[in-house]
Formats: sequence, C-alpha cells, structure tokens
Amino acid sequence: MISGLTEHFFRHEYGRLVAMLVRRLGAHRLETIEDAVQSALVAALESWTVGSIPDNPSAWLFRVAHNRMLDELRRQARHNHVVLQKEVVVVADATENGPHTFPPGDVQDDLLRMLFACCERSIPDESQLVIALKTLCGFDVSEIAERLFTSEANVYKRLGRARSRLRELKCLSVNLSPEEFSARLSGVRSILYLLFTEGYLSSCAETAIRQELCEEAIRLTHILSEHPAGSTPETHALLALMHLHLARMAARQDGAGRLLLLEEQDRSRWDQREIEVGLHWLAKSANGNNFSRYHAEAGIAAEHCLALSYGETRWDRIAECYALWEQFAPSPVHMLNRAVAIAEWRGPVEGLAVLDGLEPPSWLAGSYLWSAVLADLHRRCGHDEAAQHYHDTAMKSAPSAAVGDLLQRRLETSRETRAR
Amino acid sequence: MPKYLCLQRTLASNQNEAKPSPAQMQGMYEKFNLWREKFPQNLSDLGGRLGTGRLVTVQSPSDGPFVEVKELIGGYMIVSAQNLDEAIQVARECPGLVRPGSGVEVIEIHAP
Repeated sequence: MISGLTEHFFRHEYGRLVAMLVRRLGAHRLETIEDAVQSALVAALESWTVGSIPDNPSAWLFRVAHNRMLDELRRQARHNHVVLQKEVVVVADATENGPHTFPPGDVQDDLLRMLFACCERSIPDESQLVIALKTLCGFDVSEIAERLFTSEANVYKRLGRARSRLRELKCLSVNLSPEEFSARLSGVRSILYLLFTEGYLSSCAETAIRQELCEEAIRLTHILSEHPAGSTPETHALLALMHLHLARMAARQDGAGRLLLLEEQDRSRWDQREIEVGLHWLAKSANGNNFSRYHAEAGIAAEHCLALSYGETRWDRIAECYALWEQFAPSPVHMLNRAVAIAEWRGPVEGLAVLDGLEPPSWLAGSYLWSAVLADLHRRCGHDEAAQHYHDTAMKSAPSAAVGDLLQRRLETSRETRAR
Repeated sequence: MPKYLCLQRTLASNQNEAKPSPAQMQGMYEKFNLWREKFPQNLSDLGGRLGTGRLVTVQSPSDGPFVEVKELIGGYMIVSAQNLDEAIQVARECPGLVRPGSGVEVIEIHAP
C-alpha cells in the first residue's frame, strides 16, 4: 500500500473495468473499451499524482472510462452519421445507472463472465491465455511475451485472433449451459494457473514476489469452485497447489528482498495455516479417476511442505509425481524437473541421464531454467567445461536481476559442494 | 523563497511513444509520490497538463499563424527554491519529466 492505493491497483482496476464494460456493452467493443480504460487510468495517474486520490477511486475510474467510451462512440457516430447514433443511445442506456451507483452489479460475476468469454472454445488455446492476461490481468504485450516465453509479434498475432473472434460473438454468453460451462473449465483453469505462476515466479526484480497476484488467482479459483459445475477434483487440486505454494511464498525471499533457494529457506516461516488449507483441498481433490497436472504439482508441493528439512525431502515421491505428470502432459519442462529430483535422490549422474538424448525446443533451450539445471548437474558430475558453458548461458538469459542473483548463488553453491 | 515556472517541453515528436502498461503506471504513481515526499518545501504548485486554448489579441485571429501552445508545452508547475540550480534539481528528479523526447524549461518568476 503506497499513498492510499493497493499494490497492483492499476492492473487490477484495468481487469475490473474491462470486465464491467464488456458485460454492459458487449465483447465486440472490446478494443474501444480497452482504449477507454487505458485512457481513464492515464487520466487517474495525472490527476491523482498532482491532486489527491478520490474517496472511491474505482467509482472515479468507472465514471471516466464510461465517459470516454461515450465520447469515442459519439465521435465514431459523427464519422459514420446515422448508423452509429443508435449505438450511442444503447451505450448511454446500458451504462446509465453505472456512474451513479457504484459498484454497478456484481463485479466478481463480471470478472468470471469475462474469464469464460476469454476461454471461448473457438479461440485457440494460446490466444485464450493472451487475451485473458491482457484484459483480466492488465498485462501489456511485452509483459505477456515475457510470461509466455514468446515474442511480442507472436503475442500481437494471438491477441488479434482472440479479438476478432470475440467481435464476431457480438456479446458475452449471458448464461452458459452446464455442458458449455464444463467444456470451458479446463481452459479457465490454465489461465488461473498461469496467473498464479506469474505471481509466484515473478521475473520482476523490484517486486520479486507478487503475493497479491497469487491471492487474486486464488480468489478467482475460489469463485470457480463455488459454482456447482466448477467444483471438480481438478479445480480442487489447482486450489491445493496454489495454497501450498503460497504457504512458502514469504520464505522465498530474505529481509533484503533477495530470492532464496529452497535449501536456504527458513521452514519455520512457512505458513502452517495455508499448508492446512492446501492439504484440505488436496484431500478433496483425491476423488474420481481424473489425475491431472494439478494433482501432480499439488502432490509435489505437499511433499515439500511436509518435509521437515531439505535433506529429509522424499525425492523419490517427487520424482514419481513428475513422472506421472509427464504421462498426462508430456513436456520437456517436467523432464527437467524430474532430472532435478532424481539428482537429489540418486545423484547427479542419474539426474543427467534423464535428459540424455532430449532435444529441447528452442524456447526452452534459450531459457535460463534449462541452462541452469544443466550447469548444476554437469558441475556436480565434474564436467567443468560443459558446466561453465551452461553457467554462462544461464546468466545471460536471466530475465531479471533477482533471478540472476539467485542463479549465481545456486551455481556457486553447487561448485562449492563439489569442491568439498 | 524565489519561485520558478517549470514548463514541460516536447522536444521531438514522441507521438509513437508506447502507452504505459497498468503495471508501469503503478510504478510511475509510486515514484511520483516518493518525489513529492522528497521535496515537500519546493513543490508550491504541481500545476498540470495543458489543454486547448485560444490566443486573444487586438489583431484578428486570421493574422496568425499561431502555434498551438500545447504543441510546445505539455504542462507546467511552480517550484520554490533558493536558486535556479535547486529548482533545476527538483524538476530534474520529477519522474517522467526529463526523458527522451521531453525536457523541462525552468524560468525564474520575478516577484513584484
């Protein structure tokens, strides 16, 4: 909280305002709405920094965004004469009560509807993720590119695809049938998962841990789990892994804000209440036959939470969870993680053997994760030349100073361990 | 304390400047507040951004051409300082004011 505004205020307000306006004015006006919201936020920045924050900042923003929306539609109407005049009337009617009675309607419901609109089946998966990160989380194109390990051009392309599809839809599905709801659930969960991961594995040095964002992902997931059709074992497993990760979040950095390695963390700082909540959801998720990636990850997080020390971690179970995860969702990232678990369990040579013959896709080969793990394993195997090569590559591809600092320490530790 | 008029000058066409993301706006907001807290004695009037206006003269408006003032000056503020150097220091540290494509002109206001 700095000077009266909550952390991530601008980004969260962006998501809320877009969701509120889209609900009222239709998804086909998404781009105009996003421009109006952007411009309202800029106006707030200019006005609030020079003056002071209004009593109800959200209401202020909604009023300004709504007025800009009307102005823009009037401008378009003047351009196109009669045709759009009708639209202006519609917009004015639709938002008539908005500026005066805030919050207009149920904002949580608006957000959930927006989430489902983003997960419209006819939009390709990768475009769904991008449009949700853009509209609901308020990330811009370059921030999204960084989160998704892709280029900005690619993000623009995906965004364009999603927007044009939403334009064709004309309006948000007001009430989804149970079948439609179920069909979209998995896409909704991946977006919530990504939102959580963005907070948990922050790549921004200044706010190394974005607890707020994780809590928001948890909040949205809870809204999902409260809906009868959304309350499935997968949703519960997703909640479990979020809580089990969140429990350890504060301990992931020291007093100076430096990211800490798992073995450096003070386990007494892990939030036991969060762990309990996580284990509750994990137990609830063990129902039915569907073992999902979230079950695997929640299982791994639970093993870490239950281990009394790093040395007492049951690496065999963790390696097993990664292996299960790979079966359900084959991914070189899971192989990489399994290699790490096996190296802890059976030694670096066997860890390295997991990756033998794996040709990583270019996005992974270019990421710091890949290089850092290989640097560590090679170092511990005594392959100094290969270790140095991967070490250098990892340092070069670190996305932020905080991550670079962490890598440096992790790789130094592994060097010392071997020297001992 | 003498007062100084600070005019934000647009130096080059920065029309294509990327719009700040909401997260960046949060950062700007926080930086701006830190700057306000750092110079409480100096910031007499934080002024604001300039909108449209009209030149009023004894001549008819067609005697122009007059350059729109806001094309040259984005905004203004008034800073109190012991001397020009101190005023420059305050203005220089204002977030977002001195950057590529934008500068600030610091002018002493002669008190009557």
